[in-house]
Amino acid sequence: MTWTCEHIEAHLSDYLDGLLSPDERREFALHASSCEHCTQMVASISHLLSGLHSLEQVEPPPQLVYAILNKTLGPREAKKGWRGAFGWLSGLTSARFAYSAVSVAATLLILLTASGFSWRKPKLADLSPATVYRNANSKAHLAYAHTTKFVSDLRVVYEIQSRLNKDNELPTTPESTVPQSSPGKAPGSTDGTRPATPRQQNRANGLRREIEVLAMGIPALSNQWCRQPLGRRIP
Amino acid sequence: MAPCNFWGKLVTVAGFEADHTLEQDAQLVQQCLQGDGSAWEELVRRHTRRIFNICYRFTGNGTEAEDLSQEVFLRVYKTLASYRSAHGGFATWMSSVTRNLLIDHYRRTKRDRITDSLDDAMPVVENKESAGRRPDQQLLLHELSYQVQAALTKLSPELREAVILRDLQQLEYNEIRQVLDVPEGTVKSRINRGRIELARILQQMGVRPS
Repeated sequence: MTWTCEHIEAHLSDYLDGLLSPDERREFALHASSCEHCTQMVASISHLLSGLHSLEQVEPPPQLVYAILNKTLGPREAKKGWRGAFGWLSGLTSARFAYSAVSVAATLLILLTASGFSWRKPKLADLSPATVYRNANSKAHLAYAHTTKFVSDLRVVYEIQSRLNKDNELPTTPESTVPQSSPGKAPGSTDGTRPATPRQQNRANGLRREIEVLAMGIPALSNQWCRQPLGRRIP
Repeated sequence: MAPCNFWGKLVTVAGFEADHTLEQDAQLVQQCLQGDGSAWEELVRRHTRRIFNICYRFTGNGTEAEDLSQEVFLRVYKTLASYRSAHGGFATWMSSVTRNLLIDHYRRTKRDRITDSLDDAMPVVENKESAGRRPDQQLLLHELSYQVQAALTKLSPELREAVILRDLQQLEYNEIRQVLDVPEGTVKSRINRGRIELARILQQMGVRPS
């Protein structure tokens, strides 16, 4: 049986929904491809379906659910008596509230400790904003001073070490390979056997001055460096 | 055949989910009938969006759709005891109640209705999946969806409800048969005629297939 335009129109949705048998599908395609009217109709319905499928879900108004519940279950009554008065306390038992409370407490603890609040002998006066500010300011300045001093000391020690290392790495001349000094003899001074060259003498003196100047930065070291003979400290 | 297995599994999963939803709905209805208010609240939350969409597509007006959705749930709440799960899913039963209310509403407002213009329609937010579409494509689709919505309201109610249930709510023919309470042949015929009529209206509006 050859299909006509009426057949095409009657089976259009079946064709688009994939409900036709292979034979019917073939007949449909045969007619639709040769008939301009049917080709146009199939194209317009396909276009319409794409438009219908582009109509996606619309969001209902947020109050709709509550309106329906009010209409069916009735308006929600406000709690009365003690339950109404202390109903808000039930919100405090939530995990979210507990987490927030712990965070706030930890922050306060850190701030008070940093501001010098004494936990052993707590005083109300220590909690006044002016005291907290003064203590925090003082602590911050002290911490800054300590850090600066530490860095400075560290720099001096490294400088001494680097100069000593540099001195050891200097090329030695044949006459100064083994500066055997006898106990109690100052470096560079002569003991009558092998007199030091003027160059050795100058270098030893210069090194001593430099170390003394650098050691002034560290009180603990300056006493030792100034008291002991320099020759014993230099390997 | 990997694709066949994949689609087979997908269909199985979808079927399982549908069965699971049916079971949950039936359970909630039972709880409601025993006086459980929270079960009713859950049912309302699960079906509000779908019912509102049917009403909105049928009327083309957000305010009317909101009022009708409330009426649907009120009627369902009052007649919940008459629901029998053996006769079909709760969602299908709700769709049937909705359809009856929409037809009543259409007849009631027929005299008052002067024009089907959408100019006074309350704007609603369309939840479009715009990912992967170019702005010009989105614009074209938006325009087309607006025109289709306008054309839908010009369709006769019998054809409109059939097209909405099939092409917008993606219901199967047998489900539509249950909702409309007509033979499956009539359902097919109405969907087919509805689509052709809708395409004709769109053509009159100057919308041509690209």
